[in-house]
Amino acid sequence: MEKNYYVCTGCGMLCDDIEVESEKNIINKVYTACRIGVAHMKDGKESAVFRVDNKPVDEATAISEAVAILKNAKNPLIFGLGTCSDETQELAIELARKTSANLDDTSSYCLGKVIEALLNNKFKACTLDDVRNKADVSIFWGSDPSDSHPRHLSKHSYFPRGTEKQRGWEEERTAIAIDVRKSHTAKICGNYFFQIPPGGDKEFIDALIAALAGKLPKTSYNFPPKRILELANILKGAKFGVIFVGLGLIYSLEDLEPLIQLMNALNEKSNFHLVPMVVHYNMRGFNENLFKETGYVNSVKFEDGTVKHGPEYSIVESLKAKTVDAALIIGSDPLSSLPRSISKNLLEIPTIVIDPCETLISKKAKVYISTAISGVESGGSATRMDGVKVDFKPVIETKRPSDEAVLKKIMEAL
Amino acid sequence: MTNAMELYQLLPKTNCKKCGKASCMAFAVALMARELTPEDCPPLKEEPKYKESYEKINELFKPAEGATETGLIVHEDLCFGCGNCVVACPPNVANDPYGVGSGNAPRNVGKLVLTVQDGIVRAQNLVECRRFGKNKILCNACIVTCPVEAIEFV
Amino acid sequence: MDFTSFLKAPEINVKIVTYRDIFQDKAMIENRFGEEYRNLSAVIKLDPSDFKQLSVKKGDSVILKNSFGTVVVIAEESGYEPSHKGIAYMPSSPWSNMLVSDETGGTGVPRFKDISVTVASAKGQKVTELES
Repeated sequence: MEKNYYVCTGCGMLCDDIEVESEKNIINKVYTACRIGVAHMKDGKESAVFRVDNKPVDEATAISEAVAILKNAKNPLIFGLGTCSDETQELAIELARKTSANLDDTSSYCLGKVIEALLNNKFKACTLDDVRNKADVSIFWGSDPSDSHPRHLSKHSYFPRGTEKQRGWEEERTAIAIDVRKSHTAKICGNYFFQIPPGGDKEFIDALIAALAGKLPKTSYNFPPKRILELANILKGAKFGVIFVGLGLIYSLEDLEPLIQLMNALNEKSNFHLVPMVVHYNMRGFNENLFKETGYVNSVKFEDGTVKHGPEYSIVESLKAKTVDAALIIGSDPLSSLPRSISKNLLEIPTIVIDPCETLISKKAKVYISTAISGVESGGSATRMDGVKVDFKPVIETKRPSDEAVLKKIMEAL
Repeated sequence: MTNAMELYQLLPKTNCKKCGKASCMAFAVALMARELTPEDCPPLKEEPKYKESYEKINELFKPAEGATETGLIVHEDLCFGCGNCVVACPPNVANDPYGVGSGNAPRNVGKLVLTVQDGIVRAQNLVECRRFGKNKILCNACIVTCPVEAIEFV
Repeated sequence: MDFTSFLKAPEINVKIVTYRDIFQDKAMIENRFGEEYRNLSAVIKLDPSDFKQLSVKKGDSVILKNSFGTVVVIAEESGYEPSHKGIAYMPSSPWSNMLVSDETGGTGVPRFKDISVTVASAKGQKVTELES
């Protein structure tokens, strides 16, 4: 019997093997997904909410108010989009062009740099399917997929049988964690957990590069050289190695140079790839879509047919410097995810929030439109953390409009 | 948990063989292995003079309530459905190599020991578990791969 | 003025490293204004020696302060080996974000995982509520 599988848009893994039991547009049972996926898929709601100034209105009123805000703004910020389909993202880019907006997504303060480097071929990349089929050494560096991408180890990076990995994880795979704390993932890695102090990543990279070259690895925090040499030996012997890069590593480095040097050193001795541990299901999609259009992955400003780019156009710097005078926020909650010392400036400008769920910012928004959950109540396409395109269809129906439909209406009304 | 000798002390010690075992000691061993239950000893269950012992033995086995025949307990509050155990479980791999064995959704649910439903691992078909039956071994694939100690054998 | 009251509530400096927690994420998806999300977010995981110095027990309220904000959260044992005296852990959330510096050096990236605060006992005080 052919089974009907759905894609889970709960995180950047985009698991494509989820079975669901539903009745009357309510999902009752979800098979094979993790807790995050189940919570995400069961979060659907039937009726739409449209508000202006925290009072319920009809859809047309909400849209026209949103349009008025965008028209009046000299430099609106369009932000979010990591949990939107490619189709919605492309519309948002077009809208940003049309309104001479400052456009950014969450990647500017998380993994954007890494994706940009990948798109510019600074790192050797591979897909998660390659990982399952071939990888013998997986390094989780500053990442804890057990908490952020729960099925990562079971579906791709450690436990499954793959075409070239038929004898099982105990014999054919090594999982290594490098982190500042013993995360759930580090626990599974057992003796291959290397605990370093906060901010100690750059030194550890340098020590590892020294060890790969046969020199004595030194760190100011006296990490046992023997263990670094042991690690270097494992990495040298890898036939297909992967580093899964998380925020723990990226936040600890001033720039990507040390990581590039490490990858180069590893690839002189063996065969290593890099996969970014993207959290939002289509953050990488946004980076790729914007890159295609402008050559940049985030933090852009459209003006008179030109595109400006730089950290000053990131959400953080533009809010800090108060250079934006209105905000359209799609599927994100800066009041939750950014430092309050910065996000508080959002409360001084009119905001339009388009989001499936109530958030801290939706409650403060001038205009709030609740939309269908992308991947649960509306379909589209997205890019997985490893760059693979995935199409998905809605699991259930809802009366709520898709974010794509809302953006289309805003665009038409402009 | 208790040992077979302790259990033996609570049995009738008549070696009546009504349970199908050669002796009360053999019955105690079978109890420990969860091949038989206290109910399988008719005198213990029925005769009033053993009432106290019967209750005591039942009490001893009580902590294992909610456990399956192999003693497998899933702590549902800890499990978050990563599926590591599902993919690492040797009978799961043998019975469904291209489904769960390859990290995918089950293709042969009827033969699987562990699956994930609503984000939590469920045990079923314990006859397939390597800890079950006569030729059982102390397989611990589902335990060592669990990040949160959500699976326990009692 | 009773000088000993200052001695009774010692203050320590800690560095907070933030992290992700799956149950906290799940609770956020289900209801970010709910009690479960607050209970799993408004916590700080401390080293046993820091507990001792603060003379608080696990489950007690502590107040975290720096120039960017102040929050009351629940102190929990980290359970991590080896000792990490002076380093504490918090799941990323609006609570941890109330303490993150706005200093970015113009990079667009705040130091989410590198927060310096003082910790003191706040016995009996309620955990900070999310503004909404």
